[in-house]
Amino acid sequence: MQVLETVILAIYLIGMTIIGIYFTKRAHSSEDHYWTAGRSINSYVGAFALFAALASSSSLMGAVGSGVALGIPFLFAYGFGAVAILPFTMFLVSGQIRRSGVATLPEFFKQRFGNSVQVVSVFIVVVGMTFYMVPQMTASGLIGSYVLGIEYKTAVIVLGLGCTLYAALGGMWAITYTDLIQGALILIGMFVLAALVLFEHGGLSALVQDALAAAPHFGDVTQPWLSYFGLFLAFLWFGIVSPSAVMRNFASRDARTARRSAMWACLLYLLVFVFGFVVAAGGASLGILDTLENRDMIFVSVIEHYMSPVLAGIMFAGLLAAIMSSADAMLLAISAGVARDIYKEYINKEASEKTVTRIGFVVMIVASIIGILIAINPPQLIAIMVGWVGGFLLSSFGFPLVLGIWWKRANKQGALAGMLGGAIMFLILVITEPFALVSEPIIAAPVSLLLTIVVSLATSPPSEEIQSRVESYHRDQKAV
Amino acid sequence: MKSNSRIKDPGIILTIVLVFVSLFVLIWWPTDIYLMGISLAGWLMFSTYIIWFLLAAIYVLWIEKKDENNE
Repeated sequence: MQVLETVILAIYLIGMTIIGIYFTKRAHSSEDHYWTAGRSINSYVGAFALFAALASSSSLMGAVGSGVALGIPFLFAYGFGAVAILPFTMFLVSGQIRRSGVATLPEFFKQRFGNSVQVVSVFIVVVGMTFYMVPQMTASGLIGSYVLGIEYKTAVIVLGLGCTLYAALGGMWAITYTDLIQGALILIGMFVLAALVLFEHGGLSALVQDALAAAPHFGDVTQPWLSYFGLFLAFLWFGIVSPSAVMRNFASRDARTARRSAMWACLLYLLVFVFGFVVAAGGASLGILDTLENRDMIFVSVIEHYMSPVLAGIMFAGLLAAIMSSADAMLLAISAGVARDIYKEYINKEASEKTVTRIGFVVMIVASIIGILIAINPPQLIAIMVGWVGGFLLSSFGFPLVLGIWWKRANKQGALAGMLGGAIMFLILVITEPFALVSEPIIAAPVSLLLTIVVSLATSPPSEEIQSRVESYHRDQKAV
Repeated sequence: MKSNSRIKDPGIILTIVLVFVSLFVLIWWPTDIYLMGISLAGWLMFSTYIIWFLLAAIYVLWIEKKDENNE
């Protein structure tokens, strides 16, 4: 057991829980406060919150691990899609969805396409986000088992439940404000680690040469082109199709704040990938990849090698912070889907706000238990699991959502066909594995696009009312 | 905004720019050219990071200017 690291971790986790409890009363005062922090978050807090939600364990551990194991171009491909997430989301959907006045992605599908599409979308959100808990839990288990010196399985259970507790207690208020701290920790931690690596090797050029000497394929494109393209697509679309990231957008005070938050969060994310490059080169130069049981552990080895125990403790807290904030955002999306979009919509329309919030609480606990159970025996590398979730959501939601916003003629039948067809095609490709790793959305997303267009054109157009609503998504903010 | 001017929407224009930059990288894909021991295909992907941020900044300023003009 690493005592100093454990103490720092414990202080951190207790601090975060206190913040969660502090905001509990505020959060439970109304449904709007619980889900979107009363829409009153400013652009700097919003930027860190968006950044922390996106900079998941995968951005840090997974990207660095895959950059060392599969060559640095693989990490660059990660950032190639991931840094573009926020601009791409802003360009195509965020202003329009905000103008539509809805609070969740399934709510948008209901407004635009009707009840059946909403139900299917809730099902996809719940499945996708629950599976997305798995890489987060896996990463927290790896860090926890190393720091605490306990079994991986125990670490997954303890940290998973701890993380759920404060997310469930505080809703978006707690998540947004703890994200501010977590976002800062990730950024500063990565910066310090990168600086230490560069200092020890005497600059970037010497560092890359050291990495190449220890790992001759470090600079190579080692995977088929399809893998890089698939990874790029899955991450590029992540902001559009990930319900957790989209929900962040609504926590901003107004459209201008939302856009500025996204722009600054993009810069923070860019910096993390630049620091990640340096950290991965430091990891490759250690030449220990083949000795590790799990390749995702390389990041932990870099921290251990280059940092003092105090700094390492802070860094592990930063890593756990990234995991927790992402997992929290996912849990919130799952519970919003079930409690608001299914229970209140279809089961008990008269349910009080308190009842809906409580059901959301229970759903969070259940979802995290399922995530923990799967994470005990993770099916793949973190990077691949995250790629799957992005690919699955893109293949089912991507085009029905974008066409719903930009094409008046898209209708309910088209959206249903696109969603189900894309999702099923994606699952078939994952199970049968006919192509390179994470290349599934290259086939499944165009299938969804084609189905949405062809089925919409083959059936009757949406009503005049819906068509004029689509127009209203694009009217200037002042006019709404 | 009228529907027939949607092609002139800043979001659509910048999406087209983003797609062109991505296509340039993915079609050229120079895996056999090396700079500092790292494949140029990798460096090209790395250099897009700054382009993506610049596109985000251009979008934010463009929309804010548009809003001011509408006031």
